[in-house]
Amino acid sequence: MPSLNTSDESSEAAPSRREFIVKAAGLAALLPLSTKGGIAEAADAASATTPANTPSTAVGSTASNAATPPPSPGYTFFGPDEVTFVEAMMNVMCPADSLTPNGTDCGLSIFIDRQLAGDFGKGGRLYSQGPWQPGKPQQGYQLPMKPAEFFAAGIAAASAMAKERYGKSFDRLSPADADAFLQDIAAGKVTGARLSLADWFSQLVYPLFQQACFADPVYGGNRNKVFWRMVGYPGLPAFHGTDMVEFRGKPYPGAKQPQSIQDFS
Amino acid sequence: MKRKLKSRRVVFVGGGLTAALAARKLVSEGVDVLVLERGRDHDAGPEQRLPSQRDELRWGVRNHLAQDWSIETYTLRHSSRETALPIRTLEAFLPGVGIGGAGNHWNGQTFRGAEYDTMLRKRLVDRYGASPIPAEMPIQDWGVSYQELEPYHDTFEKLYGVSGKAGNIRGKLQEGGNPFEAPRSGEYPQPPLEITEAGLILSEATRSLGYKPFPMPASNSPKPYVNPDGMRLGACQYCGHCERYICESNAKASPEVLLYPVLRKSANFEIRPFSQVTGIAYDRKARRVTAVHYQDLQTGDEIEQPADIVVLSAFPMTNTKLLLLGKIGEPYDPATRRGVVGKNFCHQTMSAINVFFKDRWINPFLAAGSSQTLIDEFNGDNFDHTGLGFMGGGYIFNNTTNGRPISTRPLPPGTPAWGTKWKQASADWYAHAFNISVHGSCYPHAENYLSLDPTYRDAYGQPLVRITFDWRDNEVKMSEYVTRKALEVANACGATIVGPAVPRKGPYDARVYQTTHITGGTPMGADPGNSVVSTHLQHWDAENLFVVGASTYAHQIGYNPTGLLSAFALRLGDDLSAYNRRPTRL
Repeated sequence: MPSLNTSDESSEAAPSRREFIVKAAGLAALLPLSTKGGIAEAADAASATTPANTPSTAVGSTASNAATPPPSPGYTFFGPDEVTFVEAMMNVMCPADSLTPNGTDCGLSIFIDRQLAGDFGKGGRLYSQGPWQPGKPQQGYQLPMKPAEFFAAGIAAASAMAKERYGKSFDRLSPADADAFLQDIAAGKVTGARLSLADWFSQLVYPLFQQACFADPVYGGNRNKVFWRMVGYPGLPAFHGTDMVEFRGKPYPGAKQPQSIQDFS
Repeated sequence: MKRKLKSRRVVFVGGGLTAALAARKLVSEGVDVLVLERGRDHDAGPEQRLPSQRDELRWGVRNHLAQDWSIETYTLRHSSRETALPIRTLEAFLPGVGIGGAGNHWNGQTFRGAEYDTMLRKRLVDRYGASPIPAEMPIQDWGVSYQELEPYHDTFEKLYGVSGKAGNIRGKLQEGGNPFEAPRSGEYPQPPLEITEAGLILSEATRSLGYKPFPMPASNSPKPYVNPDGMRLGACQYCGHCERYICESNAKASPEVLLYPVLRKSANFEIRPFSQVTGIAYDRKARRVTAVHYQDLQTGDEIEQPADIVVLSAFPMTNTKLLLLGKIGEPYDPATRRGVVGKNFCHQTMSAINVFFKDRWINPFLAAGSSQTLIDEFNGDNFDHTGLGFMGGGYIFNNTTNGRPISTRPLPPGTPAWGTKWKQASADWYAHAFNISVHGSCYPHAENYLSLDPTYRDAYGQPLVRITFDWRDNEVKMSEYVTRKALEVANACGATIVGPAVPRKGPYDARVYQTTHITGGTPMGADPGNSVVSTHLQHWDAENLFVVGASTYAHQIGYNPTGLLSAFALRLGDDLSAYNRRPTRL
């Protein structure tokens, strides 16, 4: 596969290819399991065999902590190096555990990819006229970059900072190091990049992460409604006229089997 | 292409709630009425149909029913010494677009306001003397008494099928209602909505403290309802998709469901969507407006629409902008405190405390936009402010309107922002938590005002409205006081965990949703020296120009503004009818 980032060929593209092979091997080995059920069963299988927070060799490795990673639908916005970074980041923010599969397998990276490729990423509803000048936080976002451009610039900056700090790429960090790095970014302790990584994280990454988890699965995240099931949000159709009285103060049975847009399409 | 159309008798700018209410009488009398609306007709679109209506990302997070900020936003600064910057994506409040306006995506919380609210200065001076009102707080009477408005409230509530429990019928207090309520001529048209589990908890806690909880007056119909016009509401499904959404069950009263269909049956009524008004032509010598200029957003045509009578019935920001652009009335200047247009701009002072219950099922998704329970002991001037150092107050309520999980997922303090512990906390508390909120007043301040931005422009080449606003001393102190009362309520709820009480503090934050209750900019009053429009909502500098809606509020009341502005809009309908028959200063 030709890489657009030829200058990074030696350092970045190689792990990506390695990743791809590992994933492909993992998939092939586990094919019999995946025929028997969807992601919910896969998650159960993962939790049965893999305790939460089992250390893996690197956060970018998905094969080690998910029994049956579902096939990726493929990315439309991110390039391969960006995919490696974003998948690793989503796997740190959402590790595979007894509650959900890892972030990539929950579709979180795909969700972000689709959002950045679409109207949101292009700043479809963002006021984009100059002049540009820094403001107070309460005045909100003031950069000329569209969200997709800002996200990509942040990946590049965070990748560089990770390499500077740890001497290896972000996806090669141990889960603990990767988590600490993101915590430091969020806290504004990773400085030196041209853009504010704290703003990048708080204004873009974190909102998209939460949306990826809890938006309707039709957008590519929250795969198989795993997060809705986790918290007990029943989803659609939400005709609760009689439930309102019958289940006031009681567990709501529909919360165990949420329904989404796809179920009504 | 430029075009000039044939003159129309009455032209409304903005096709939301107030235009529909103010046009009713004119239309029934056969008067020629045209409403110009920038947006589209929402009827039967994806916003009103299943399954797309339940899409939290589209409507609840990306706010696709609200104004598109790429086309027009506002600039913000916290004082007139600062440079304002454009709010590139605004979350603090959500003006609507399309027929029905913000009246489509509201929660349905329908208050009349306190009896004293429209005569607030008189009330405060009578009770405390003039000295506790700071010089920089231009509190003024609106000049219309509650008693004069009561019949209009009554009509509006019947049109909207408002549900609730009266607390005061003709001066006689009613068990189960709000003891601070302004006297009503009768019971609410519909009984209260079902109470939520959170409401039961709040009721018990507030009663234990000696307060009198009551159900929120709601425009979410508890059962099928037929209004006096023969228009129907369905039964509320407690689906948790009110605010930021259009009701797919037609159970939330809104202009598009109840009002415009009636008007549209008349041949003398026309509503023209995709019409972006860009200016009001003003004849300074004659002191009259002569035409409305707009752009047809489907063809790009620039159109001049001559009119005998013009009514500004848009969101407060737009009403103010059109007066400033047209140089109609004197713009407010905070340095001299002279001028009126842009004055008394206010928002709503909100604060909240999360409460968590290990053993109680709150089920936040079983809720309607107004199925809340509240107490009114600390609202407005319902309590003695002697020695407190501030004026105003707010109601305290369980703010359970939905369980939409991207946005409504309270987590205990100290929860990490991601990872297994974050997921576990989400799983543990999602169905077991709610927030107790304060919905508070905002009184005007000499430094809080609207003007035209000197730098930034909208997609039509016009200046953006510049907001100069911050939470001033009065609101900060009020919020501290009432939020402390809310914390006492939270502590009496028997919660496993009570989150921190967070009173409202500056700087005013455009990134945080507060409410869509923006008020002021074109305040009303009896004195042309401090108001833009008269007590009949007639512009002091143009007899044939009227302004209606929350922009005419001289301060923000402690209640949601929709009920009160609706009464004013219906009253304007009578005034327009009179003016149409005999044009004069009312």
